[in-house]
Amino acid sequence: MAKQNLHKTFHEIIERHKGLLFKVARTYCGKEEDRQDLIQEIRIQIWKSLPKYDAHFAITTWLYRISINVAISFYRKNRKSTHFPIAEKLPTVFDPLPNDFQEKFNLLEQFIVELNEMDKALIMLYLEDKSYLEISEIMGITISNVGTKMGRIKEKLKKRFLNHKEN
Amino acid sequence: MNDTDLKYLWQTGNNQIAIGQTSDKTIMDNLIKRDISHVLSSMKPIKIFTLIAGMLWVFGLGFVLIVLTINTYEQVSLYFLYSAYFQVMLTAMAVILYIFQLNTLNRIDFDKPVIILQKKIINLKISTLKVTRILMLQLPFWTTFYWSESMFKNGTLAFFIIQGTVTLSFTYLAIWLYFNLTFENADKWWFKLLLNGKEWEPLMTSIGILNDLEEEVISEKD
Repeated sequence: MAKQNLHKTFHEIIERHKGLLFKVARTYCGKEEDRQDLIQEIRIQIWKSLPKYDAHFAITTWLYRISINVAISFYRKNRKSTHFPIAEKLPTVFDPLPNDFQEKFNLLEQFIVELNEMDKALIMLYLEDKSYLEISEIMGITISNVGTKMGRIKEKLKKRFLNHKEN
Repeated sequence: MNDTDLKYLWQTGNNQIAIGQTSDKTIMDNLIKRDISHVLSSMKPIKIFTLIAGMLWVFGLGFVLIVLTINTYEQVSLYFLYSAYFQVMLTAMAVILYIFQLNTLNRIDFDKPVIILQKKIINLKISTLKVTRILMLQLPFWTTFYWSESMFKNGTLAFFIIQGTVTLSFTYLAIWLYFNLTFENADKWWFKLLLNGKEWEPLMTSIGILNDLEEEVISEKD
């Protein structure tokens, strides 16, 4: 790929998939400045890996691999500073949200915060509506293992929502 | 709450927050230029300091030893000269290995499947133990550099017993640590005692994570 094309492709990828980068950063970092640093790290790795991109892979699979790998390394390096204050107020730029939406969203995020670094990635991919096949390609584990792990995580999550409802 | 509700909750919540995110083109262009300097900027100051100190030690002491060998080989104690040579040689090996590891760590491909890549990164980090193991081999030479011919001519039996015990103990300890200072022994008391400083914390955490990942691989095989 010529250098000029590479620049153009890089800008297009970042622009089109900025939501993906942002969601990964939000899953692994609580503070806004950490998120921005992480997104920057991810962009650097995308830029470095772009010349070797194999078009046989779906671009999102490739991007998720890079983003999650960078996020996990970043999370490990900055574990002490990436704690989550959460309970971030959602901006209401869209249609008005249901009354208890904010509360449920915070509960979901709090649940994800408490998971280990690998389970964080699994639940995020699942919530992003990725198939077990895609998740297994991103994570490098078998589909059946994805199923087993997801079953365990979902069970815990459902219990959490149930307990919250009862309280 | 069912799966569809959960996915709706996650996606809608994040979309609300992500809406204000922008990707400034100027920032991205600077980022591309920054690419080369990133390797150095990502290194922690302590690593840079260790590397510089190691290189100064090797080149500085190496230079002095070569000058001594060329100009005063007959006058200088050979015990000192060869002990120092071995010490510098082992430090040089450790420095080369350290540079190689840092370089490999910075050139790693991040587009590999998550579990596989994370195992590779952690294994590389843990391999910094090799540097420590090589440095441990210096131990006996710290007990021989002050030897001299007159010590052997005039030494008493007590002196030989004490000196011999010290040197042999250090030699045994060095070889034993070289073979045993591995991550498989990370749960042993002596391992924790030796590597309990703050600078070893990331390594110990890495060992813990690797054990978790090994379990992932085992359950994968099951």
